[in-house]
Amino acid sequence: MFIPPQKKSLWPLVQGLSYLAPSLLLFICFVFYPLLKSIQLSLFNTDLIGQETIYIGFQRYIDMFSSLQFLHSLWATVLFTIYTVLPGMLIALGLAYIANWQLRGIAVFQTIFAFPLSIAVAGASMIFMMLFNPTAGVFAYFLQIFHLPAISWLADPNWALISVSLVAIWRGLGFNIIIFLGGLQSIPKHLYESAGMDGASPWRQFIDITLPLLSPTSFFVFIVSIINSMQTFGEINILTQGGPSESTNVIVYSIYREGFFNLNYSYASAESIILFFIILLLTLFEFWLLERKVFYR
Amino acid sequence: MTKSFLKKLITFATLIITVFAISGCGTKTEPVSENKPVKIVFWYAVGGKVGEATKTLVDEFNSSHPDIQVEAVFQGDYDSAINKLKQSIPSKGTPNVMQVYDIGTRFMIDSKAVIPVQKWIDQEKFDMSTYEPNILAYYTVDNKLYSMPFNTSTPILYYNKTMFKEAGLDPENSPKTFEDVTAAAQKLTNRDANGTVTRPGLSVAIYGWFFEQFLAEQNAPYTNNGNGRDSLTTAVSFNSPQGEKTLAWWSGMVKDGTASNMGRKTADTLKAFIAGQTAMTIDSTGNLGDIMDGVNGKFDVGTGFMPHPADAKDGGVIIGGASLWMLAGHSDPEEKASWEFIKFMTAAKQQAFWHIKTGYFPVTKAAYDDPDLKKYEEKYPQFKVAIEQLHNTPINRNTQGGLLGVFTQSRQEIESAIEQVLNGQSTPRDALQKASDTVNGAIERYNQTTK
Repeated sequence: MFIPPQKKSLWPLVQGLSYLAPSLLLFICFVFYPLLKSIQLSLFNTDLIGQETIYIGFQRYIDMFSSLQFLHSLWATVLFTIYTVLPGMLIALGLAYIANWQLRGIAVFQTIFAFPLSIAVAGASMIFMMLFNPTAGVFAYFLQIFHLPAISWLADPNWALISVSLVAIWRGLGFNIIIFLGGLQSIPKHLYESAGMDGASPWRQFIDITLPLLSPTSFFVFIVSIINSMQTFGEINILTQGGPSESTNVIVYSIYREGFFNLNYSYASAESIILFFIILLLTLFEFWLLERKVFYR
Repeated sequence: MTKSFLKKLITFATLIITVFAISGCGTKTEPVSENKPVKIVFWYAVGGKVGEATKTLVDEFNSSHPDIQVEAVFQGDYDSAINKLKQSIPSKGTPNVMQVYDIGTRFMIDSKAVIPVQKWIDQEKFDMSTYEPNILAYYTVDNKLYSMPFNTSTPILYYNKTMFKEAGLDPENSPKTFEDVTAAAQKLTNRDANGTVTRPGLSVAIYGWFFEQFLAEQNAPYTNNGNGRDSLTTAVSFNSPQGEKTLAWWSGMVKDGTASNMGRKTADTLKAFIAGQTAMTIDSTGNLGDIMDGVNGKFDVGTGFMPHPADAKDGGVIIGGASLWMLAGHSDPEEKASWEFIKFMTAAKQQAFWHIKTGYFPVTKAAYDDPDLKKYEEKYPQFKVAIEQLHNTPINRNTQGGLLGVFTQSRQEIESAIEQVLNGQSTPRDALQKASDTVNGAIERYNQTTK
């Protein structure tokens, strides 16, 4: 922290802190305290209702990394992130690009595109559950029309993670489109005008003007998407409960099961601490890697 | 945009917290008077039409008992409710009465936060003779009735009589054994010109409860030490020849296409049965009403006993559902009021209403004399099968059902094992062995924590 060299009154600091107090209070209550408590809980055995009993050191962490199940969860999480982040961003960028065209009534489409943002995860999952229904679902109906073999969207271990990813991508679209649209609209028009005069094709303009000037926005969306997808829970809880054959048992879901069903509070805490560090390291790495590639005006 | 929104949100949240903090200081100062009704809190965990029926019963109790006021609080599904209970034990905020699912029995006893209802039965010499013995057997541990059975169901086989006729099968004769089901399913399965299955004969959801039933049907235990009823469970025993037989039968049918795997949700198999996309399914008796309403006369619905292997003897079904528990740590008048409430909820008249509204069994035989219930039975003769199945079940350790502190986890592991077998990723033996290893580890940990 930066401390001014000359001795001044504490007033500015007190003043600053008092402005921050409401948010600090919330952060301490809902973020810092639970974090410290989780670290503590991960080092203790607990009783049936989750109170610490005996100190066991890093035993749970050792258990975790020697269990196949945890590595499996880690892999499912990585796959889920791959399935959702880039496809979600590309679709959102495409739709935002179209929604940015100056056409009559485009605001209607902008609203429609942002629509998934307004639906709660439980509602969206229930809707998709009906769509995915193996016999009476809409997807099954379309496959039948095109004479394609039926797919057990949620019951087939090879499809379940993809199906859940579809829901997550759709749910993320609204937010991503709004952010991308904001980024697109902040690009000065005169750049396109002069590029147009120089005879650059729309594709060229997109590659050489839009993409570079959009890079801070893309960077933001990328980081937020990765963090979101590593913490996805609602869709999985409602659609697959981690199944079939553990194929959608991502780390967050595994934490939930261990902590709230399997009475394994310290193991669940250890898992959540590891997830915290994974996301922290990933975010730091992204900043390190992408800060130098991103063009800030 | 995001920043200013966040700021507003934080300001708003702070305001709310302040308001709560201020308003929180003022309450709880009412003086206790003698004439005021005793207030008790009841947590329940059933939604939809079952939740509505529960609320109706509570309202009825409140209006007929002016000296007691029951506050009924819906706590989400069974799992959420038990999780909320865990949080309420250390803060001494437990409800007076709580509805807990069957497989939570061992956990509730081990939580040491409960009073067995047996205490009040003995104290009042309350007559339990009309209560169904098969149902009481489940909730009786160490010769004590721990909780009062409330909503009870068993699975039955549902079949489409119209399709049975078309396939040349006797529609009045449901398949009784695994072998019968396989043979019937072969006849009932429709295929197109390429041999692709267009309608399977059977669809069963991957639900751990059904697996437990198939074990009990073969008179096989789920856990050791007499299903955890002679002494505390130290290991599971579902990785038995009976367990393997069940999975071999089930996966064999899925493999040749006569049964379909629609995943874990019974809602999906139920929908398929109603839509005529499968000829047979297994589901809870509690869904009979939904099935009859959904089918609405499009075809005739038949019901039959849960199937078992032809050579199995002395087996039967295990009851499922939930019971009412009394929580400890409340004043004597409150405990007395809780007992009155529990008696009311399981009395003949209420159970008859409950049965008609929800499809759960009446827990007391006296309910069958109710005129409304008789009318209901005439309307849905299919339900008789469920009652016969319950009364035909001999009471022994295996049909009493397993007691296991980590039952929720065990069910999850079993479902995973079934999935692996049905998807051809594992053999019945390996999958059950793996599930048993995981659950045994959890049991060991559980037994250490409860010591």
